Amino acid sequence: MIRDALSKGTIYGLLFVGGGLMLLPFFWMLSTSLKTPNEVMLMPPRWFPAHAEWQNYVKAFQMAPFGRYLVNSVIVTVLSTLGELITTLLAAYAFSRLAFWGRDVLFSLLLGTMMVPGEVLLVPNYVTLSKLGWIDRYEALILPWTASVFAIFLLRQHFLSVPKELSYAARVDGAGDFRFLREVMVPITRPALVTIVLLKTIGSWNAFLWPLIVTNSREMRTLPVGLTAFTTEAGTAYELLMAAAAFVILPMIILFLMLQRHIVEGLSRAGIKG
Amino acid sequence: MRVELDAVTMRFGDVAAVDGLSATFESGELIGLLGPSGCGKSTTLFMLAGLYRPTSGEIRFDGTVVNDVPPERRSIGMVFQNYALYPHMTVFDNIAFPLRMQKVPKAERQERVLEMARLVRIEHLLGRKPAQLSGGQQQRVAIARSLVKRPKLLLLDEPLSNLDARLRLEMREEIRRIQRAVGITTVFVTHDQEEAMSLSDRILIMEGGRRQQFAAPQVMYDRPASRFVAFFLGNPPINLLSARYRQDGSVLVFPDGTRLAVDPTPYAGLDDELPVTVGIRPEAATVQAPDEIRSLDDTGHFIGTVAYRETIGRDTLIRVDLAEGVLRLLVPAHETPPLGARVVVIPDRTRLHLFRESDGRALHKDTPDDAQATRRVG
Amino acid sequence: MEKPTLTSTLKALLYLAPALAVLITFTVYPILQSLLLSFYADYDYFRDIVYRYGLDNYRFLLQDPDFHLALRNTAIFVLGVVPASIALSLAVAFLLNSRIRLRAFFRTVYFIPTVTSIVAVAIVWRWIFHSDYGLMNYVLSLFGISPIHWLTDPKWALPSLILFSIWKSLGYNIVLFLAGLASIPETYHQAARIDQASAWSRFWHITFPLLSPTTFFVSIVSIIGAFKVFDEVYALFGGSPGPLKSALTLVYYIYLKFYREQDYAVASAAAYVLFLITFVFTLIQLYIGKKRVHY
Repeated sequence: MIRDALSKGTIYGLLFVGGGLMLLPFFWMLSTSLKTPNEVMLMPPRWFPAHAEWQNYVKAFQMAPFGRYLVNSVIVTVLSTLGELITTLLAAYAFSRLAFWGRDVLFSLLLGTMMVPGEVLLVPNYVTLSKLGWIDRYEALILPWTASVFAIFLLRQHFLSVPKELSYAARVDGAGDFRFLREVMVPITRPALVTIVLLKTIGSWNAFLWPLIVTNSREMRTLPVGLTAFTTEAGTAYELLMAAAAFVILPMIILFLMLQRHIVEGLSRAGIKG
Repeated sequence: MRVELDAVTMRFGDVAAVDGLSATFESGELIGLLGPSGCGKSTTLFMLAGLYRPTSGEIRFDGTVVNDVPPERRSIGMVFQNYALYPHMTVFDNIAFPLRMQKVPKAERQERVLEMARLVRIEHLLGRKPAQLSGGQQQRVAIARSLVKRPKLLLLDEPLSNLDARLRLEMREEIRRIQRAVGITTVFVTHDQEEAMSLSDRILIMEGGRRQQFAAPQVMYDRPASRFVAFFLGNPPINLLSARYRQDGSVLVFPDGTRLAVDPTPYAGLDDELPVTVGIRPEAATVQAPDEIRSLDDTGHFIGTVAYRETIGRDTLIRVDLAEGVLRLLVPAHETPPLGARVVVIPDRTRLHLFRESDGRALHKDTPDDAQATRRVG
Repeated sequence: MEKPTLTSTLKALLYLAPALAVLITFTVYPILQSLLLSFYADYDYFRDIVYRYGLDNYRFLLQDPDFHLALRNTAIFVLGVVPASIALSLAVAFLLNSRIRLRAFFRTVYFIPTVTSIVAVAIVWRWIFHSDYGLMNYVLSLFGISPIHWLTDPKWALPSLILFSIWKSLGYNIVLFLAGLASIPETYHQAARIDQASAWSRFWHITFPLLSPTTFFVSIVSIIGAFKVFDEVYALFGGSPGPLKSALTLVYYIYLKFYREQDYAVASAAAYVLFLITFVFTLIQLYIGKKRVHY
């Protein structure tokens, strides 16, 4: 319909210009990350480096413990995603398939907590974790994020759309609840599970405020926290800073490019249902 | 397996979905549970499966009370209305699933799945996923899955309602064939009287959670125990007209003055001035032109006008408007009177159905109802 | 569903236990504790003794110029980001929806910023905003505009932040709008076409009104999200709330009170103010959203 109002050429032109603007920062990041220090400070700037300084990546990696940050980010992302997946599967199953007293009240209560911004939780959670002696440890980075009301809500919706007769059939066939969850519900709702896992992975990888607060030592920093610290450490060495930013950004872009269907469709679904 | 329902009641909150239901199904019988939606027939099936636990009463399998036995230990197979095939598993895996749950060794599993596939004639489909099958094929897979455990009772929930008309006919015969081949006691739920009539050894007809009648199809059609049963069975449905019985002359008097003589001997409780509902099956009357009535007395016919006609195969369905009420009748196609014609309708007196107006119970002395569950002695 | 019994409840509890353990400890308890904390008027935190409860912390916020600044900046930020982001993403979504080829390609391109770390891309933007060697000032210089001190001039700090945030937020909104557009049945357009409505009048009288539930949803989500801005500020201004606190936002204020000044009670009170603000928008969504948004 827009096509009648604007010519095809105009549409493509607008989209290309807009797309270029969206990607320009990434291009600039990569381009800068391959420049020599002198090239970085050239005015007018050079769009492409004279020749690629791959050494910048090695230098940046050595200047700060990015290896350690990377390991931390991977550990935190994998474990909190795994944790959330398990708690979500079990809870969503209970809320969609098991009869228990106070189910609706409990569910509404949990939904209600979604209205509260995470910032409200900062102080008490910090205090709780201090009392447990977990500050600056993996427990603090991971445990609070191993359950999510949003994920439970999302998966419950998907579980509810699986016909009830399948549960009955499984019972008649001799499968218990856990067996049914594992062998029938999980395979059937796999697209939804993939979406939940991907959204969690991206969120966990990019998380900043919480890791910033609960880590003190360099050894416990995740990539985003390490990267902000690196901005002071690198000073004006923008080529190194850009190389470091690329460490953080590229894994998620690659993951996204490979699995974007699940992410985009999942987000649309979650968004439309509100 | 012999199945007994003994005063079984199932309440959901304040509503009794099944209310004091009793019946006994003999071993190897094919039983149709028939009734309109919400009559409690599916609830009854789910109680037999063990998916619902009766609020009161007893369910007995071969004399043993099974109220508290969970479905997986009841030795039952069940086919659901939407078949409930596991969508992510192949046909083979679907059929093998119950055996896997019973930890049957792989070789035996393979053999038994194949045996079932042959029985329901889907050997060539074992590698497919349910979504790649037609409705009839899915139905066959569901039956195979339900029988692979060698259950003693097969439960079918509206087995044909998701199929188109032609497949329905085919699967009706198939269910009958498979049930005969396995010799298993089978209970199926349906709201379609034709399906129940054609398939069942005996029909248990329910309404409002209660048993209306339990008998063989033809018996029930000929001797319905109530107005409800009479109306529910048969298509086109039976014609129901209000009248009063007058002992003087043994006649039924209709509001418009028409009088119809009846033989009161087969009926009980046919008191003078009793308000009754008269049931006339569409095929249990003849239609004649008015000039042919001279030989008849005035207590054997209705007079009306043909208001509508519709050819259905060999017969024609006509609607005759009376002074009060209408009659829908089946007449041979070549004898159909033209629209607007004045006609005389002569009901077959021996096939009249009389029901008490107040509660709809049949007045006929012999309305077979195999209802009473054999009480356990001692 | 069957009636719950003691056995079935115990079983369900087993399934719920892992999630509940985490959620109660790290979500439900902190919500209540934080509320309580915001009323601590006189307390010894280390010995866990509260001498007096009261509204002191809220009173403090009322007269704290920093808090006023944070509120003001946050409000400007919301007003600067949300309408612009919605207008732009709506426009892009319409363009993408015109059944062109490369639709999936463009959707991917526009969505990429959404999946990237805010902190990391903010550092890239820091470089783009650089006063002397930044790409932005270079491009402006081509149009004869003299260099702007994007991140170091208090006047420009908020606009820089807004610009960056619009760029970052487009992709997510575009995806939501595309989903909304896809849910509008084609028949409406066909009917309007038969009625000889022009392209623009079809847009204004059909597409736009039918899209209103999505637009409303996206607006509310964006507003709530924008009120919580923090990572962007921290990374863009190198761990400071901008020159002369010119980009001090509400969450940054909470962070400062809590982490830098260890004033937990005031931080909690400020967090509850944030909750109150977002709660108003949640309520608007819940009540008006259900009734009024259609055609």
